[in-house]
Amino acid sequence: MAFPTHKPTGRTFDAGDYTYKTFKAQSGKEVRILYGDKRTGMQLQLVYENVNDTAADDFVAHYDEVKGGFNTFVLPSAFRSGWNGNASAIDAATGNLWRYQSAPSITSVRPGISSVTVNLIGVL
Amino acid sequence: MAKVYTGRDGILQLSGTTLAKVVNFTLQANLETLETTTLGDSLRSYTPGVLGYSGSASLLYYKDDAGNINTTNLLNKLIKTGTGGVSSSETADLTLRWVDGTDQNDIRLTAYITSANIGASTGEITRAEISFVGTGALTTATIS
Repeated sequence: MAFPTHKPTGRTFDAGDYTYKTFKAQSGKEVRILYGDKRTGMQLQLVYENVNDTAADDFVAHYDEVKGGFNTFVLPSAFRSGWNGNASAIDAATGNLWRYQSAPSITSVRPGISSVTVNLIGVL
Repeated sequence: MAKVYTGRDGILQLSGTTLAKVVNFTLQANLETLETTTLGDSLRSYTPGVLGYSGSASLLYYKDDAGNINTTNLLNKLIKTGTGGVSSSETADLTLRWVDGTDQNDIRLTAYITSANIGASTGEITRAEISFVGTGALTTATIS
């Protein structure tokens, strides 16, 4: 089962960074050493408010399928719903795939209706 | 026969007994709506949430010939001695009725009295004001 194709009601994207290390001399001079040429560690929070419970459990099923935070996956285009910029700008950068940063969180709103929050992280 | 209802047709009952000197009553039905608008949508969409009822009533503070005060059984839900507060069984069985001869249009509900207000003011008739919220489903709804 692929990641659910429901459209999110909220989305927060953090672009991550390139891997580098910073050294600072006593004089205050800073030296940075770049260890990789790919941006990674991007974070994505997807919120699905007031969805049917049957939609909410899709996320748990997918979480199981990828063995929680162990396996990586790609996201369907539905997660970018409402985004008019470059599609790749809010997706996992080149060479990266998504994995769960934490388990999907489900809040029951009323009988049959729940809200789901999914936190993902892009990894090389 | 066609009829426009007025305040003269209104009756408020507590546990099936008509309360005297009712000045007004209102009932409001509120449906909670849960927004289901998603990113990319241009129009808001909703799914129904929880339905609830609330209302208020105003009564003249009135003692009849037998010495009974009309508001006693409403006000004593909140205005009382003791340290126990309000128990779950202290509900009020309210009927809001619009009468047309023998035709009765009723809304009956079980409610908690959530506020009770009474005072005295120079040159004015003393009134008792109550607010209530319904608990559970309506017992009767024959207004349509």
